[in-house]
Amino acid sequence: MIDAIYNWIDNRLALSKSGRHLLNKIFPDHWSFMIGEIALYSFIVLLISGVFLTLYFVPSEAMTIYHGAYKPLDGMRVSQAYASTINISFGVRGGLFMRQLHHWAANIFVGSIVVHMLRVFFTGAFRRPREANWMIGATLLILAIFNGFLGYSIPDDLVSGTGIRIAFSILESIPFVGTNLAFFLFGGNYPGTDIIPRFFILHVLILPLVILGLLAAHLGMLVKHKHTQFKGRGARNDNVVGSPLWPNYAAKAGGFFFLTTGVTAILAALVQINPIWQYGPYVPYKVSYAVQPDWYMGWLDGALRVMPSWEIHLPGHMIPNVFFPGILLPGVTFTLIYLWPFIESKFITHDYAEHHLLDKPRDNPMRTAIGAAVFAFYFVLFGASSTDVLANYLQVSLNVVLWAFRIACIVVPIVVFPVAYKICLELQHLPEAGKRKRHMIIVRDEEGAYHSVDSEEYPGYVTPELAPVQIEEVDLSPEISALNATATPKDTGVYKIPRD
Amino acid sequence: MIEAIKKRIKIHFKAIVKYNKVAGLLVFALAPVLLTQFLVALPAVASVGSHLSRHESQRQSNMSQATAAAAAGAKTPQLQEGRTLFDENCSSCHGVDAAGSKLAPGLHGLGAGVVNLWVSSGWMPLANPGAEPARKPALFDLQQTNAISDYVASLSRGGIPILYPNLKGASVTEGFSIFALNCAPCHTITGAGDALSNGLYAPPLHGLTSTQVAEAVRSGPNNMPVFSTGVISKSQLKDLVAYVTKYIEHPDNPGGVGLGGVGPVAEGFIGLFVGVGLCLLVAFWIGDRTEKEEDKGHKKSETGVQHA
Amino acid sequence: MPDVTEEHPNLESVSLDAPQFEVAAKNVKRTEYVTFGAFILGFIGFAAFGAAYTQNAPTYMLGLTIGLGLFFFGFGLVSWGKYLMPQGPFSEPRPLMETTEQERELLKADFTSRGKVAIKRRSFLVKAMAAAGGVFGIVAAFPLIRSLGPLPKNSLMTTKWRKGSYLTTIYGDKVRPSDLEVGGIVTVFPEDDLGSAISQTILLRVKESGPIVTMPGRENWAPDGFVAYSKVCTHAGCPVGLYEHLEQLLVCPCHQSMFNVKDGAMPVFGPAPRPLPQLPIYIDSDGYFRARAGYDEPIGPGFWTRGGTA
Repeated sequence: MIDAIYNWIDNRLALSKSGRHLLNKIFPDHWSFMIGEIALYSFIVLLISGVFLTLYFVPSEAMTIYHGAYKPLDGMRVSQAYASTINISFGVRGGLFMRQLHHWAANIFVGSIVVHMLRVFFTGAFRRPREANWMIGATLLILAIFNGFLGYSIPDDLVSGTGIRIAFSILESIPFVGTNLAFFLFGGNYPGTDIIPRFFILHVLILPLVILGLLAAHLGMLVKHKHTQFKGRGARNDNVVGSPLWPNYAAKAGGFFFLTTGVTAILAALVQINPIWQYGPYVPYKVSYAVQPDWYMGWLDGALRVMPSWEIHLPGHMIPNVFFPGILLPGVTFTLIYLWPFIESKFITHDYAEHHLLDKPRDNPMRTAIGAAVFAFYFVLFGASSTDVLANYLQVSLNVVLWAFRIACIVVPIVVFPVAYKICLELQHLPEAGKRKRHMIIVRDEEGAYHSVDSEEYPGYVTPELAPVQIEEVDLSPEISALNATATPKDTGVYKIPRD
Repeated sequence: MIEAIKKRIKIHFKAIVKYNKVAGLLVFALAPVLLTQFLVALPAVASVGSHLSRHESQRQSNMSQATAAAAAGAKTPQLQEGRTLFDENCSSCHGVDAAGSKLAPGLHGLGAGVVNLWVSSGWMPLANPGAEPARKPALFDLQQTNAISDYVASLSRGGIPILYPNLKGASVTEGFSIFALNCAPCHTITGAGDALSNGLYAPPLHGLTSTQVAEAVRSGPNNMPVFSTGVISKSQLKDLVAYVTKYIEHPDNPGGVGLGGVGPVAEGFIGLFVGVGLCLLVAFWIGDRTEKEEDKGHKKSETGVQHA
Repeated sequence: MPDVTEEHPNLESVSLDAPQFEVAAKNVKRTEYVTFGAFILGFIGFAAFGAAYTQNAPTYMLGLTIGLGLFFFGFGLVSWGKYLMPQGPFSEPRPLMETTEQERELLKADFTSRGKVAIKRRSFLVKAMAAAGGVFGIVAAFPLIRSLGPLPKNSLMTTKWRKGSYLTTIYGDKVRPSDLEVGGIVTVFPEDDLGSAISQTILLRVKESGPIVTMPGRENWAPDGFVAYSKVCTHAGCPVGLYEHLEQLLVCPCHQSMFNVKDGAMPVFGPAPRPLPQLPIYIDSDGYFRARAGYDEPIGPGFWTRGGTA
């Protein structure tokens, strides 16, 4: 029966012709190649939990009186967006779990994108022919950050509402078009009544669609180029060494999906995130201290804080303070990210060749040092977004903490650059670096002399890698057509090893 | 049987919720911060300890003196006790009869409520003259605190009395709304407290009595603004106190560990270090290829089919 | 089932006893048990989730059961794939992306030779098509963008405060001097714009009595120890609700800009570039606070057309 269905489909789509090719696809084994998968899997979790939440969320700023399980809100005039989010948390069975799952998955999604990007950067995986894929990846990061911010904003609670107010200020700070842009997005002057529905449609429809499309392109290019690999036994620029998609990676990647989802679900079970019932509804003239955005916006919030109180006044016009940290900084950041593959080949490596073998970070000290310094800069900005919370926990003056961050965001990158550069150079001359050493054992021989010998190898550690076995495309068609229709090939085709 | 297990789990989870502030702080502060905290706290704890024991003996001597004075025939034993305690503990800075001195302002015109707040919160007496007022275990018990307050209030007119808000019929909804408008800008919306300018702090609002909350709102200790009846009416004060003592003190955390109410900062740390971190650990395991062994290298595979 | 290799000798037979085809597990039996155990635990976790859901269990029960179920299920799958399948490594060839000059020429030739026929002596068609298409591209953007909202016009420059506006609390009560003690703060609005994000203003009582001159030229703006400032931060627009009455500082809770109350709310720390606009107020004959005039500058954060004055 299943055979018949398969045959029916296959005779119309010719899956068998390309299917075998797909089963044989080799994926290199290395832990750092799986970071992107975390992002992919959290995105799937986001889609599933997001669909659940969409069924109960009401994206409206129309006012309603909340009556429900949470007493301090009982009888309060709140927006429908806020009331429905409270209802998801307290009134829908499993709703709070889904909300927390969605929010934790978002945090993990953006986090794993960043880590994945760092891996790609420091190993030089963005070089020709993958420049375009690097740029798609950078776009995905921007979209992920944006969509995270939108999702954080739509419950219309006090903390996120303050974030929307800051977003309006940043938008209107853009020279020439800023105020128009802000008015178009918000449907008028702040706060208006349109922003929650508009953010909602961007959050659940437009941005996810764009992300899905770019994700398909991202993965499509990965299939076309085949995955990069580290130098190792048998790994060359013109082959891929690793394990095949079927059955090894099907099991490993499938299992990894469940593991990622499991970790997210356990977090969602045990750690409360964004308890908006404690924050109350957004009211434009109310505010809470210690308002922070989610962590992936933290570097922007930190930049807003450490920025000195400068702005530019021109005759009749001005460039406001928030323009520099709010628009210019991310603009420059992502322009540099987009252009990096070209900057590097033009000014640093002068290397325009096609690369499928990865660098170790130490192989290219200049790239590694620049990357580390720039990352340190953004990490300091990220830390600066919690100046008040840090000052409170460390019991240090807030003013001192802010000044410390102002100085650190200049000093730390300057220190990190030469240190990283030097470490790379040192590591280059230590071929054993990163490998487990054998113990030195000192023995005494019969004549009383001492000798040092290496210990036994740790089991499984220094075992030389086996030589890779090449999987070749075998044209089975004449044989198969000659076969009886019921005959199936056995133990052949999938793995084919040439005899020496 | 099942009911019993359910009950046990419930009790257990209640304990988790109760201690989740501590857990949140622990997780958030991370190792270096914890270490700093520990190093900073060590001498402080030690000094508080010695301070306490010193005051413990002092208190006993105070009490014996107070009883002696009362026995000597004071008109109101309460005021007499307050006077004795004041002279022993406060007058060195605030002056005899609370008239003030170079070290500290006079206390006339403040009323019993202000004195009660400062003494019951442990702000007063200071650890040493010139120190910043800090929350510490109160030096005096309730009766002694009230005695001092009444004594100081008896020296002048005006000020606010000791407040005992009656929370019956108070609306936590209204209290929540007032809290968000007037209190959250400094104390944060969860009452976790935060750092103000130049080393000042808005303290966390946990562990306060309704008397303390009401007195603080009306008197504006330190840099806290004063909210008189024109801004927060009497019935609104009741609502506010009800919200603070019920929901700030015992936040509703159905979602698990509350992370100390510091919001996205703590959540980000958990998301990055625990969430992404655990996923990375899993990736280490999946991606590594060190399991291959020689010891089964000579053993024939059971699954392999051999062809001629 | 016939063996392909037996019947078709021209197909190279495959040897599966190479070490690459052995499983990676050290101890196959033990690994099988562990994997089996993981699937069983996954099964238990999922089943427990079902039970917890039907019992309407609290969030942590729902999450823990399904989370652990997923975790063990995934663990089983990975353990199977990692330890109980051929360890490899295997390799496949990777065609380079580089193309040859010839390949590119061929495509180019195809493209231009067919294209030439199409546009031969028809450049006027190309131009007309480009013109029509271009106009479409431009007008299509009109409804997509212009319909979204009104133009800002003058709305960012003014507030609803005007001469004679009462300072009114959110409850609609007109504020009198006796409502605040020294060190008091209250958020006020014009009586016709309660709860407004734009007009929100804070009224502070800085001292017991006497006018406060925050700046030269503002001699009668702040009577009897009271002063009023816009509550919208000049940095990023957050409500400046944090008043330290001994320090006489207003602090913005978002980015910790600090404003000196006695000095015309000049920023003394943090990123705010401009002082909070001050609302000139007076006490009318009935004893109510009223605005002497509206704000004399646009409130809130800067924008391009705000003008160059600091």
